[in-house]
Amino acid sequence: MYERHGAALAAYACSFGLDHSLAEDVVHQLFMKMLGEKSFAPRAPLAYLYRATRNASLNLRRDRQRETDLQDTEPWFVQHGRNYEEAINLQQALKELPEEQRETVFLKVWSGMTLFEIAEATETPLNTVASRYRYALEKLRERLGQNVQKRG
Amino acid sequence: MGPYDEEMERYLKEFRLQPIRALEVAPHPRRTLWRRLTAAAAVAGCAAGLFWFARRELRLSKETANVRAPNQSVLNERQSRTTLALTALALADDERFEALLAEESRKSLPSFQGEESTLKVLAKD
Repeated sequence: MYERHGAALAAYACSFGLDHSLAEDVVHQLFMKMLGEKSFAPRAPLAYLYRATRNASLNLRRDRQRETDLQDTEPWFVQHGRNYEEAINLQQALKELPEEQRETVFLKVWSGMTLFEIAEATETPLNTVASRYRYALEKLRERLGQNVQKRG
Repeated sequence: MGPYDEEMERYLKEFRLQPIRALEVAPHPRRTLWRRLTAAAAVAGCAAGLFWFARRELRLSKETANVRAPNQSVLNERQSRTTLALTALALADDERFEALLAEESRKSLPSFQGEESTLKVLAKD
């Protein structure tokens, strides 16, 4: 599970303003906690991990902001046939999405869940999940439309 | 549930996420292992102690039983000797024997059980 979803969870943590190494720490701690509590078995582990990542990231960001301004220009994505600017634009666009939409995009695109699975895991009606995803993609296209068209 | 922008989805999937460093699951610390071994040794020690104690008790109880058995035989022997001595006394000196019986009857109660008990014999008389 860590190998399959760890990177997506870390990127999701980054979307709350953490740099990648802090995001890794958050994800590590969550998995260690899950491993440490043998009796702990959430009904939907992946949805639980996303929610826990969100809460931990917000807490950490709040604590760190008191100490220093966080720099969040570190890319969450590997430069794989893409330039740095394009990756940063995508990051920025994802960050601007409402939380529920961003979570849905991560679960669908980078954790590979179907909309039905997301609805089950997040205990949200399927139509709501589908709408969130559709709206999110529309907003991302508005922001990144030129890049998408260039590729197409 | 309407259709969504699949082209946009494909575009997003082209972005590979930064890999996350391996999860370092700390092996059980040696201290924990030692604690477990110590606890296991203590339990084993207690079990061995209990076993030894139980065997010792069993052996002592057997020995006590063995000791009691000879005592009973000694008593029986003593009683038979007394019977023989009394018979001899009755044959040799009747008056003394009667006096001895009278003296003993003051010290011990007669038997009230069995067909040949003292009480029944006296009742028949």
